[in-house]
Amino acid sequence: MGKPKALVNKNMCLACGGCISVCPQDALLMFGGKALVKEEKCISCAICIRICPIGAISGRDVTNEI
Amino acid sequence: MKYDVVVVGGGPAGTVTGRFAAESGAKVLIVERRNEIGVPILCGEGVSRKIDEWGMLQGKRWIASNMEGARIFSPNGTMVKLSAEMAGNETGYVVYRDIFDQELARQAVKAGVKILMNTNAIGLLKEKDKIIGVKVRQFDDEFEIEADIVVGTDGVESKVGQWAGIDTRLDPKDLETCCQYTLTNIECKEAYCDFYLGNKIAPGGYVWVFPKGKDIANVGIGVLGNLSEAGMPKKLLDEFIENNPGLKNGTPIRFLAGAVPVAKPVETVRDNLILVGDSARQVDPITGGGLTHCLEAGKIAGETIGRAVEQQQFDKETLSSYEICWKEAFGKKLKRNYMVKEIFLGFDDKTLNMLADSLKDMKFDEISTFALVKALVLKHPTLLMKLRPLMKISTDA
Repeated sequence: MGKPKALVNKNMCLACGGCISVCPQDALLMFGGKALVKEEKCISCAICIRICPIGAISGRDVTNEI
Repeated sequence: MKYDVVVVGGGPAGTVTGRFAAESGAKVLIVERRNEIGVPILCGEGVSRKIDEWGMLQGKRWIASNMEGARIFSPNGTMVKLSAEMAGNETGYVVYRDIFDQELARQAVKAGVKILMNTNAIGLLKEKDKIIGVKVRQFDDEFEIEADIVVGTDGVESKVGQWAGIDTRLDPKDLETCCQYTLTNIECKEAYCDFYLGNKIAPGGYVWVFPKGKDIANVGIGVLGNLSEAGMPKKLLDEFIENNPGLKNGTPIRFLAGAVPVAKPVETVRDNLILVGDSARQVDPITGGGLTHCLEAGKIAGETIGRAVEQQQFDKETLSSYEICWKEAFGKKLKRNYMVKEIFLGFDDKTLNMLADSLKDMKFDEISTFALVKALVLKHPTLLMKLRPLMKISTDA
């Protein structure tokens, strides 16, 4: 069972860049004016989830998906 | 087309660097990923009147209001009033950051800078290991822009530094995670920038209320990353507004997020590469203020680039005069204030209250270490122990 990977809610993201600046894996980038997680690089550390000032990033449980 | 300089990011650091490089004779291109310079605003919008001396902005459209000083409120509401001169970087003017940024961009263009909007830098262009430009994406097109010098002014989430091998990743304890409202229908009786401290109000940061007019203010919060949780800044800011009689009837007409590096500065020069502004962590770790630094550093960077272009020398050694000069201008202050930040983080609410109580009656136009110590010893002798490391820093500096 894998830990949940980070997922940015595009409707909420205000593009502050905080999550990108703290990601230890360089797994986030700004894309089309919103933060985007590069899933293959994400190690599920949840640092970006905790840092988001407005709670726009959550954990997505990859095991629940086909 | 080949440029002397390609600048990644059209914020104040980028446009000021570009402008002074162009004025020194360099051919400059700025690439900006957004579709409007200055938008979205990621800032409390307070800036020191120090910028007047530099004359980089014309007109007054970018000024929302003039501040007389700052008021700092400890957790129990004790107020310490500072004049604008004493309050440092974050008081003086409250600005419209979008207009502010656009005015700087206008000045850059006037100096001969070209700006490419909607253009996202996606990597460095290299020949063997040498940086020779940037790769960009504009809508569905990808292309290369050649330049002798690449300037990274791509903000807190900087990638340019990382692409060049400079580790700009931030530890959560070195990032203030922020959000802010523009709140209207409130009463701003006095022209003071207000700061509210307290571990329950804003852990490792503060709430700010910066008036932009008689009934409107930029009201925001910064929380230190390692003390925050998902969505905590917004939750605490909403609570603060709800519990503040002067603010709770206000209506937001804007809501924005922000992230401020409060870290030690990084290496800012490599062969063919310079970092300026938030990407170089040129931010005061105590206040989170960065505007004055990036303008000052941008001017130095631009002039350094001008000389480099004239000599056709783009190696680290030639560009290093930029790093030496900005460190001389404000690098020592940043280093000292980083240490002060670390000490302040250890203060509980009780200590902050004692500190404010000792300082509240002081006249800050005649401040000196001696006067400070006297005030503290008389009122709260136990504070001396906690402040000892601070005293050491101020004597060393």
